Amino acid sequence: MGKRRQRLRLVGLALAVALVAAACGGGDNESGGTTQQATAQKGGVLRTSLTDFGWVNGFDPTGEYLAFAWTIYGAMSRSLLGTKHIANAPGNELFPDLAADMPQISSDGLTYTFKLKPGIKFGPPVNRVITSKDVAYAFQRINTAPLVAQYGFYYFGVVKGMDGKAKSADQPISGIETPDDQTIIFHLVKPTGDFLYRAFMPATAPIPQEVAKCFTKAGDYGRYVISSGPYMIQGSDKLDISSCKAMKPISGFDPSRELKLVRNPNYDQATDNLRSNYVDAMDLTINTNVDDIFNKVQAGQLDSSIVEPPPKPVLQQYVTDPAKKPYLHSNSSDATSYIYLNLTTPPFDDINVRKAANWIMDKAAIQQAYGGTTLGDVATHIWPPIVLGDRLGPDYNPYATPGNHGDEAKAKEAMKQSKYDTNKDGICDASQCKNLVMINRNYSPYSEAEPVVVSSLEKIGIQVKPRELATSAAYTTVQTVKNNIPIGMNARWGKDYADPYTFAVLFISAGISATGNNNFALVGLTPQQASEFGVKLPSGAQIPSVDADIDGCQKVSNAQPDQRNDCFANVDKKLMEQVVPWVPYLWQRQITVTAPSMTKFEFDQFSGYLSITQVAVNNKATVPS
Amino acid sequence: MWRYIVRRLLWVVVVMLVVTSITFLVFFVLPSTDPAVTFAGKNPTPEQVAEVRHQFGLDKPVPVQYLLFIKHIFLGDQYGWPGLGFSYSTRSPVRDQFFGRVIVTVQLAVGAALVWLCIGIPIGIISAIKRRTLVDRLSMGFALFFVSAPVFWLGLMGLWLFWYKLRISPGTGYVSWGTSFGDWLSHMILPWIVLALLYAAFYARMTRGNLIETMGQDYIRTARVKGLSESKVIFKHGLRASLTPVVTLIGLDLGALLGGAVITETVFNLQGVGQWTVNSVFQGDLPVILAVTVVVAIAVTLMNLVVDIVYAYLDPRVRYN
Repeated sequence: MGKRRQRLRLVGLALAVALVAAACGGGDNESGGTTQQATAQKGGVLRTSLTDFGWVNGFDPTGEYLAFAWTIYGAMSRSLLGTKHIANAPGNELFPDLAADMPQISSDGLTYTFKLKPGIKFGPPVNRVITSKDVAYAFQRINTAPLVAQYGFYYFGVVKGMDGKAKSADQPISGIETPDDQTIIFHLVKPTGDFLYRAFMPATAPIPQEVAKCFTKAGDYGRYVISSGPYMIQGSDKLDISSCKAMKPISGFDPSRELKLVRNPNYDQATDNLRSNYVDAMDLTINTNVDDIFNKVQAGQLDSSIVEPPPKPVLQQYVTDPAKKPYLHSNSSDATSYIYLNLTTPPFDDINVRKAANWIMDKAAIQQAYGGTTLGDVATHIWPPIVLGDRLGPDYNPYATPGNHGDEAKAKEAMKQSKYDTNKDGICDASQCKNLVMINRNYSPYSEAEPVVVSSLEKIGIQVKPRELATSAAYTTVQTVKNNIPIGMNARWGKDYADPYTFAVLFISAGISATGNNNFALVGLTPQQASEFGVKLPSGAQIPSVDADIDGCQKVSNAQPDQRNDCFANVDKKLMEQVVPWVPYLWQRQITVTAPSMTKFEFDQFSGYLSITQVAVNNKATVPS
Repeated sequence: MWRYIVRRLLWVVVVMLVVTSITFLVFFVLPSTDPAVTFAGKNPTPEQVAEVRHQFGLDKPVPVQYLLFIKHIFLGDQYGWPGLGFSYSTRSPVRDQFFGRVIVTVQLAVGAALVWLCIGIPIGIISAIKRRTLVDRLSMGFALFFVSAPVFWLGLMGLWLFWYKLRISPGTGYVSWGTSFGDWLSHMILPWIVLALLYAAFYARMTRGNLIETMGQDYIRTARVKGLSESKVIFKHGLRASLTPVVTLIGLDLGALLGGAVITETVFNLQGVGQWTVNSVFQGDLPVILAVTVVVAIAVTLMNLVVDIVYAYLDPRVRYN
């Protein structure tokens, strides 16, 4: 910036006291820029911002369970298998990445043998060839209790010798063999149809023991992550790994301010046909002001938003202005927002009440409160269509109502069959329908959708008392089983990987735990569990279970995707029609707004965010040192 | 005087112990959520929750946790002195993050204080001297407007005008003066002015009121009768007496602002203490909340002490011996 220009700025700012008069004046709108996107080219810095990283395990890949972190790992690390980091169903398809080919699977489905591509190296400062032992070490970290691998349950009890109780990451796993540097063999306890997806998750990407051995507590490795992919954290080459004591956090990552990625000099594009890697670097900064993020995108100071949806007035501009519309990208998040109904708590222990709740819900009004169709599609069943391979089709909706506004007549018909409607007028008149605590989050859009849910349920005599809490408080309240929360609308679940099992985990009775429980409706709760967790079951109550159905589906390999998806589609139908634990209301979409400087946009369907390795920008930015 | 200062410093320690014990009770003994569950992931096993509880030190008896906390504050912890613990959210020492952010907050608060003193006090003086004139009416209109205008609105309007429209502001964010003094200044001017306008309005009204009251005192009439020039009467005799309450106010305001000007920091994306604290509350990052509470309590009590000492110099009637 020239000195003269700086001086001009200062003089101009000194006039800021004139703000009031000028602020009262009118003005025109921001210009939209061109609508045509140029051809993708290499170079430039991807500049983007979010309000907070929000890591749940300090960005340590072993335990990090935040999908946004996975989009970054997609650019920094290579697992045995990978996706193409593109949108929609093709973005969920698996291909060899670190592996030379898809694995050999034994006929009993219990042994998976992978061969690694030769010559792939870790980034600086490790600079050595990645071997099968580095992949095995990543699994050993998952198995280490103090590292708290947050999705370790996908491996514990699945790979022989993995139970998540190892004291240290040095301990080998009996079910993982590395006969040579290029080969890794997994022995499973039972056939697990989606094991290929489990072997692709970011926690399984190779980790160099010489660095990671220094970090023995959850999250500690997050500031020292060594690259095995096209990009690395800026300053990785300066990391002194001569001893644990000498290591200081890599300079390009400040968990409260920024993350800068630059090209990994050891990466060989010839070994990778899944990533294009157009940009030279990525400058990801924290900006606490959401409006400001979108203003900067419009002003061309950022190339794109990445996590937060635009505020409603901004969204409105992009939806209605034809010049801006090409810069608005709406992609399926593969996530369902839902109201859970506790099967053990009156009046929701009666399936007719649960069905009535589904019939009465004005899902279209909830969708409107969320921001309209751009932000999500009305959910008609539990699994998002892409996760289920779209096997149920667009017409499956067991509680179809005109315009998705709810159907009072059908709801009352269902309520009449309930024991809580004693005079059979279709309105619950029992005391159990009054003053029901409903957990919700205390911010938009949840708080805006809340009146819709309250008024919908009131039409059939269910009076809920919303209790709005911060996200974590809302979750921990309902995750504590003994709290016996009857109903809540704070819940949203997104896929971990593109296999229907990642939604099935919400309905497995074995997954119910005293704290940290995610089966909020308590589907399949056994009398023993009820007694253990302090749940008082209504007399004669029989809690329906889908455990056997899910076990059956797990025996179908995802090498036969249609059969597997059909199986889970039947579980979805059974849940919606015979168990009815939820009122699913929205399949959310991720909204990204880009600037004209982003010449190619792509969405990573696996992580649910912009695809770092597939977008291209045309700017002259440099990553600040 | 020294005995007084030492006595007050001891009171600072007492205040800090009271504040920390209450904060500790509120956040650690009666938390709205179990931090171990929150930070063990979205589908944790009971063993993982127990492991996180152990790593956070939440498995120790509450009195032991409190004593360890106090010990670390005074003697430091593994990350240095003062020992402010470890952020659950970023998995890094609170101390490092705090010092990184408090610098931004101090720059915002001190810069804004200078601006509001430079605007508020002269306006107050002129308004008091030119009582019931057009200047007085305009000055008090200015004060009324800015007292009523919410800071977030002023901030957004300031950005809209000076950044989006006139393009004379570089926008939001913080640039350290080590990187570029010009960039630092141009990024800070707008937040300073926006934050200062509210306070300037208060200070203008207060200075005006106090000065008008002081100028009606007998000793002012005596000074005039003795033939002193009007400027000497106003600035040497009137202003000194009327500014003592302003000094009190500056101390309290600065102390409170060190806890973060949350809205200004958020609107201008200045990653200071206030905005960090709010985020930490939403995330349930208790060590950060506790650390900020302790440091702000100390800052406010110390600023009170400074104000009391300055008071003694400004007002000859105040003596602490």
